[in-house]
Formats: sequence, structure tokens, C-alpha cells
Amino acid sequence: MNNQIDSAAKVGRRYWFVDGFTEILAGVLFFLLGGFLLLRGIAPEGSFLAQFASLAGDVGFVKVVGLVAAGLILWWLKDRFTYPRTGFIREKRVPRAQMLAFIRNLILCVLLSVLVLAAAFFFMPAARASIFSMPVWLPVVVGILWAALCILAGRWMGLRRFIVLGILILLAGIGISAWQLAEGLSPLPADALQSSPLAALPEALRAPLAESISRTFASIGLLTLVWGVLFALSGLVTFLRYRKENPVPYEEEA
Amino acid sequence: MTEAYHTLSDLDRVIHEPSRLLLVALLSSVESADFLFLLKESRLTKGNLTVHLSRLEEAGYILVEKTIRGKYPHTEYRLTPQGRAAFDQYRKNLGRIFEEKKGKEEGENL
Repeated sequence: MNNQIDSAAKVGRRYWFVDGFTEILAGVLFFLLGGFLLLRGIAPEGSFLAQFASLAGDVGFVKVVGLVAAGLILWWLKDRFTYPRTGFIREKRVPRAQMLAFIRNLILCVLLSVLVLAAAFFFMPAARASIFSMPVWLPVVVGILWAALCILAGRWMGLRRFIVLGILILLAGIGISAWQLAEGLSPLPADALQSSPLAALPEALRAPLAESISRTFASIGLLTLVWGVLFALSGLVTFLRYRKENPVPYEEEA
Repeated sequence: MTEAYHTLSDLDRVIHEPSRLLLVALLSSVESADFLFLLKESRLTKGNLTVHLSRLEEAGYILVEKTIRGKYPHTEYRLTPQGRAAFDQYRKNLGRIFEEKKGKEEGENL
């Protein structure tokens, strides 16, 4: 019985995703972001497309405007479509202390990861070599992180489709990593890696590094694009089902 | 009489009624919700819903707020701290009853 009560208590948590709008808009944003990254990775250097993708990806203003616009569109859609059909709820406010603790822990995690990576880069030549194989391992790492996030969110809200999405994004990450592995990596001269990381980059490493960076952009871009498509499709199916179940706004009976 | 049966008789009768239990569970995960949300999710009739909400309000478990959204009057319901505490206590008591029943059944099977 406690499980049934739990299930009822999760209805409020997942209400934000009941109509599919949030997933569709997030999917479109991810699709655009992934598209820019992919374009940046595959467009020939110096071409108009590469410059456009680089500019669109780098200008923070574009991302902020995109996020604000998506938020406003979402608010408008919910106000016009969802609330008249299935009602309105106010989400639970997260206490300030809890929010501050979360931000503090997040900053600590990021700092610790950066410190560990920097230490590995400076003191371990083998770790330096792993920078060059980023297109192979980064998609699967990002896939694992997104999958974990999706599955945890799905369990917290009681939404099975988020768990399926998490599994799909993990499979996409593994697939892209496998594809990059099959493409092969440029061989690195071992002695070049032994030089101090503080010294200027040896000539022999410049081309492999540039190739690694553009392939990383392409693979992460592709993963983000796939993620956007999956999210948007899931949202679209949810929206169609929601509209079928709630065809017209609720009206008071006479 | 075992401890579990005492706990059973101590269950909050206002919350124990299935429809009210559902309403309190729905309200427990949100700051507030309107009448339409509760109507759709509980699948009660409007009359029944009104009666159950009144009963919860009388017990001091929910607070009713009448506001205006756009051009229309809008009524929102929120769980009071007293209602939240009663719901938490109810779940604890219910859990204890099931645990003791499960323990007893396992003991009999051994």
C-alpha cells in the first residue's frame, strides 16, 4: 500500500513532463547545440560553416537568449494548453540551505575533477596521451553521465520513459565511441609525449591534437544531436497521447 | 493484542479514508494544486471531491487559497504543516503494521 501512496506522491513531481512540451523544447535546444558542435567538428577549417558554428557556439548571448525564449514559450504553452485541461500545480520550493549545499557540492566535484585531470596531465605522460584519444572515450563517458542523470530522474519521478531514454543515450555513446575507435587514431611519437607540458607543444603533436579536438567536437556534437532527437521524439509521443486523453479544456458542467 | 493492532486502531481516520489519502498524497509532493488537478488525478466526482476537501480543511490538514488567474477565479489547495506531519505519521504507522505482519508470517514459515 505504501508503494501505491508513493506512486500518488510522484504525480506532482512528474507533472512538469505530463504534456511533452518540456521534452520537445529541450530536445530542440539539444539538437541545435549538437548541430553546432558537429558542424564545428566536420566543416573544413576556415570555411563559412565552420566560422558560423564556432561563432554560434561561442557567443554566450545566443545560449542565454535561447534558454529564456524556450522558458517563455514553455510557460505560454502550459498556460494555454495544459493548465485548462489537467489543472495547475505549484512546484515544491527547494529550501535555500539545501540549494546552497547542492551548489557547493557541485562546485567541489567539478574542482576536484579538474585538479585530478590537471595533475594527471602534468605528471603522467600516459595520461597526456589520453587527451589525444578523447574522441574515443569521451562519448561513452558523457553517455554514462547523461544516462545516470536520466535514470535517476526517471526513478525519482516514476517516469519509465526517462529510464528508456537513459539506456538509449548510453547505447548511442557506446556506438559513437565504437565508430571513432574503428576510424582509428593518429600514431603519436612517444618521445614527444615525454617533453614537459609547460614547454611549447612539439611540432609533431600539433596535427594529431588539432585532429583530436575536431573529432571530439564531432562525436560529442553527434551524441548531443541524437540526445535532442530522442528527447524531442519522446516529447512528441507524450504530447500526442496527452492530447488524445485530454482533447478539450475542462468545462464546468451546467 | 500485539503492538501492530494498537497501531492499526491509532491510524488517523481523516487520512485513512482512501479518497482523502489519495488527495493528501497528491498534495504532499507539490507546494499547492488547483481543484482541476485534484479532480483529474483523483477521478472523483466534483461533489465528492468538494466534500473530501472540506473534511480535510476542517481537520486543519489543508489550506484553501482563492486567487485570480488572468480573468478567472482560481482556488488552490496546499497541505498545512499539521497535514504534512499527519501524513508522515500515517505512513510510518502503516509501514510498522506491514513490517510486523511480514515478520510474523516469516516466523510461521520457518
